[in-house]
Amino acid sequence: MAAFVPYTYFQCPCSDSSTLAQSSGSNSPSSAHPDPDDGGIDDDSDRAFDPRAPRSNYSLYPLEYLLYCEDCHQIRCPRCVAEEIVTYYCPNCLFEVPSSNLKSEGNRCTRSCFQCPICIGPLAVTSIETKPDPNLLAAPDSASHSGPYALTCSYCNWTSTEVGIKFEKPNSIHAQLAKLRNGGTSRLTAKERKERRKDPAYTSQRAAAGSERESSDWQEDLDLETQFANLKLFYQSQLADPNSADHGLSSLGDLGFSSPSSLSRIMSIYTGGSLHDKKAKSRVGAMREALESDEGLQLADLDESAAISRLRQEGYDGTASTEQLLEQPPNLGEEHLHGRARFTAELRPIPYLLRTKRSKRCPVCRHIISKPEAKMQTTRFRIRLVAGSYIPSIAIRPLSLSGAGGSFSSSSTTTVPGAPLEPLKPAHFLLTFKNPIFETVKVTLGTPARTPGRFASKVTVLCPVFEIGANTDVWDEALKDSSGSDRDGRRRRGKGDEGGGGGSGGGGLTNQIEVGKIWERGRNWVSIVVEVMPASLHLREDEGDLPLREEEDVLEIPMFVRVEWEADVGGDEVGSAAHGRDSKEAREKRELAYWCVLGLGKIRRS
Amino acid sequence: MAQSPGAPLPHRSVANIRSTPGGAGHHHQTGGPSTPLRPIPSNFGSPSGLRADDEIIIVEFGTRKLQVGFSGDPAPRGCVWFNPDQQRRVGDFRKWQRTDHQDQEWKSAAAWGLWGRDHELWQADVRAVDLGLVGDKIERTLREAFTKYMLIDSRPRRMVCVLPSGLPIPHLSAALDTIFSRFQPPTISLLSSPLAVAVGAGVRSALVVDLGWSETVVTSVYEYREVGSRRSVRGGRMLVERTHDTLSKHLPEREKETGNDAADGPRQYFLSFEECNDIATRLVWCKPRTDPSAAAQPSSEGLPTVHEQDEAESQYPSAPRETGTIRIPLKSCQSPLTLELPFDALAEPCESAFFESQYLHSSFDDHELPLHLLVYRSLLQLPLDVRAICMSRIIFTGGCSSVLGLRKRIFDEVAHLVRERGWDPVHGVKVDQLRANPKLKRKGARQANDGPTGVSSSSFSQPGGSEGEDGVWHDAANTVPEVDPVEEQLKRGADKRPRVQGELRAIESLGAWSGASLATHLKAPAIAAVDREIWLQHGAAGASRASDVDHKTQRQSLGPGGLMRGSAAGSAWTLGIWGVN
Repeated sequence: MAAFVPYTYFQCPCSDSSTLAQSSGSNSPSSAHPDPDDGGIDDDSDRAFDPRAPRSNYSLYPLEYLLYCEDCHQIRCPRCVAEEIVTYYCPNCLFEVPSSNLKSEGNRCTRSCFQCPICIGPLAVTSIETKPDPNLLAAPDSASHSGPYALTCSYCNWTSTEVGIKFEKPNSIHAQLAKLRNGGTSRLTAKERKERRKDPAYTSQRAAAGSERESSDWQEDLDLETQFANLKLFYQSQLADPNSADHGLSSLGDLGFSSPSSLSRIMSIYTGGSLHDKKAKSRVGAMREALESDEGLQLADLDESAAISRLRQEGYDGTASTEQLLEQPPNLGEEHLHGRARFTAELRPIPYLLRTKRSKRCPVCRHIISKPEAKMQTTRFRIRLVAGSYIPSIAIRPLSLSGAGGSFSSSSTTTVPGAPLEPLKPAHFLLTFKNPIFETVKVTLGTPARTPGRFASKVTVLCPVFEIGANTDVWDEALKDSSGSDRDGRRRRGKGDEGGGGGSGGGGLTNQIEVGKIWERGRNWVSIVVEVMPASLHLREDEGDLPLREEEDVLEIPMFVRVEWEADVGGDEVGSAAHGRDSKEAREKRELAYWCVLGLGKIRRS
Repeated sequence: MAQSPGAPLPHRSVANIRSTPGGAGHHHQTGGPSTPLRPIPSNFGSPSGLRADDEIIIVEFGTRKLQVGFSGDPAPRGCVWFNPDQQRRVGDFRKWQRTDHQDQEWKSAAAWGLWGRDHELWQADVRAVDLGLVGDKIERTLREAFTKYMLIDSRPRRMVCVLPSGLPIPHLSAALDTIFSRFQPPTISLLSSPLAVAVGAGVRSALVVDLGWSETVVTSVYEYREVGSRRSVRGGRMLVERTHDTLSKHLPEREKETGNDAADGPRQYFLSFEECNDIATRLVWCKPRTDPSAAAQPSSEGLPTVHEQDEAESQYPSAPRETGTIRIPLKSCQSPLTLELPFDALAEPCESAFFESQYLHSSFDDHELPLHLLVYRSLLQLPLDVRAICMSRIIFTGGCSSVLGLRKRIFDEVAHLVRERGWDPVHGVKVDQLRANPKLKRKGARQANDGPTGVSSSSFSQPGGSEGEDGVWHDAANTVPEVDPVEEQLKRGADKRPRVQGELRAIESLGAWSGASLATHLKAPAIAAVDREIWLQHGAAGASRASDVDHKTQRQSLGPGGLMRGSAAGSAWTLGIWGVN
């Protein structure tokens, strides 16, 4: 089992109101196991955020995913930003695709970039004739590369010849593939179909086929794209001129008379209300249904016995897995497979999905908060206001107590990072808050005394209110400290610290934990201690307790963080700290409040 | 007929007057005066107002997946399935580091009654559902679909939602709430999926058999209106559960020993949902209809089917049938193993989930009718002429229609039922006696003829099927109706080709999404259009009853016209068939 790594999640305030308002209702999700402690719906006022609720998975983000709007002074999560697309590109060939192509050619790369349908590895175009000889690899592609080409996967050795697809040219594979069916038979494009229809030889052959079988029974098997096109054509023709042959209305088409609505209106004028209900049937004539395959009607071929016997022969290995089918793009070139291909021989190479570079705006003030470089090759951003440079980050570390303190003589199992927590034995964690902004911030923490959920662990934040120093220049501090007394001691234990308003440093040289004292303090960071008493995960199965759910053994603390600081009025840049401090202008109090979730460790299962 | 170019405006205003509630001719919509209740063609209005500036997004909601794409495309651009991995926190990359330990995680979820439930967007049981969670799921899935497949930015776009017609209002409301508040579309139009399926098949009337995930719904569509709907819980979920049962039946005993025998959960699972689902999609097939004589025996379940059906005879030599075994590697049981089971065993789940032919027809409750019976009864309850049209336009759709042989089996079973019973709602031993008794027969037939129901064994079906009736019947059906000159004139403009009716026939549809794409592309009016501002103000409670508003909004006629007509005017709006009636 992998060692547990402590984590921190932040909840974007945008989901705050909705989450708390809606999930507090009686219709608690999937709580087949009603929580007796949670029965009070009336105490909405100080309802703690429950990180275990299914909905909180949708509002929690690691700090790296959050952005910050400098004008609204708010955290912005991926759910509450407006996005604009900067570039479309293929992740394989890194070719930038103009947005006009996107509409006509779809969302996939139309060059020669394909993924393996078996293992989604990238496919390479290789010549079938030349054997992949390692000695010849150095040789430049000379005349030997002439024969038919195939797509091969270098990871799982799948080649497109397995599904009977070969290409004549090594380039523009996408266009060639669109005309090929699995098994190598070619597929008619819409244009060819139309031309074939005009061909007298084809018409006679079709008539022969029609007379051979029952005339109404005969149909041309259409692939999905053609059926769609035929249907569209049919509907359009029906809507445009339903009865151009009989009446002269087609000449008035420009005025819109030939549409069924105006036609029926005119008809009603002429016939008035004199028609009985029976006659209403005649309205059907205004637009009929598709009657043949040229109009998009397809009779279903229900006989699937061939596929069944094939399934019997090929067995499990011959069929495609659910994941493989998911990766398949909708295959418009095939007839109805009732949705999807089934056998691995029916899988096709997957053209790469295009990707986008997006810039993000604050939805409220419309300021851009993230804008990548438009060029594909660069990974830089022109603008990127990540939340990590505006709100304090939280790092978690288990605190090892050497057993000197009398009441804290717990066994030192918690010292090993990632080791499971002993149930019912107090453990200590060091939370280090690091201030990224150039102002001194005041942090107020709040946690419920017992974590929500089935297994309530006790949580005590020993120092819930403290101040963190500004993120000034490193050299400032170094210069200041060198002039001061002992830099080392101050950094390590916060000894003799006068700066903080939340209380002076931890008590002296012993590793004593004191309530209301900061454990350690640095230039722009503060460490505090959290004491937890992990709950026992003992289940009384005879009383119908359900087994542990996934992640239920992780001790997670919801923590409400409130950050207050003073900044220049209207100062866009919180960063201009020096300027703000020098000019004693009116300063504005700002605050930011949000829920966090701290994953401290796994509780040992009993 | 001669019309000056300035004339469109008066016409438009006439149409507007008609569209107001309580307008003339609304109470008898099939009558003559209501004929012009068709949308205004787009070239009557100002073109710029009606034409969409950008593309319209079509979203099809299923219980397990969401399909999105642009209108006018033949197929959706992207299809996102709901799964538990998607419901994790952002930045939780656990699904990429599979360990053995995690392969067993499904067991605790199963104990919580979640076996497969976390692959669903919503359950039909609204009492237990957290609507906020449904909204969150929809939002995340839509966002993924938009970002990954559609490659669109977050500018507001008009949307069309394709929904099953039986969707509960809370679900609909949650979905609309989420989309309106998170994606800011100016309007959302609602389209019911059976209608869209019918449009996607090119027909105006159809019997749409939606072999869906949580239930199978048979909807009869007549002239683009839903005229009847029946449902059965026999759907994909049941198929997967039965697949699990079949597989676990073949598991060795040691795998079935579970640590917690005391768990009094409703079901015990030995295999994970993902694996059973995978096997159900890959390998489960459906036997062709067995000979009636064999099926009559109640114990036909375990018997190897020796009798072949006529059509399948050439395809099935009996030799490989004996030898066919399938080896299935299983991972989610306690120790990985390869299960070997006869190929025929893989038809069992389908048999027991959809047909259960070993039981009498009368032993099923209404909510769990076997599929062939469901289809038959749906047809039976339809009026005569509607049935004639619908029975020759059967469309199979939904996820389970890809089970090999299932469609044919249902079709054959229904055909057999029709042959056996005709369209007589009364059946049983006494009816058979009545039919067998030549003395009683004529009298009985006459009674049925005069009876108020009038839907008894009528003879519009194929001549071969009504071999028991005498000449009187055929005469009634074949009488040449009087020639009505007015109607003749009207019919002249109509199509002269006969419509196929009265015979059982299955046709293919492009599917609900593609049908909606067609309908939207052709600017057909949606069944209901909801404006963002109005929705955010009133919510679902603001919707008027469908019958109060305007029959036009309910009409699905494929005329040109604004998709969003009506709601833009700030008039009463409706949720269509989803609204409270």
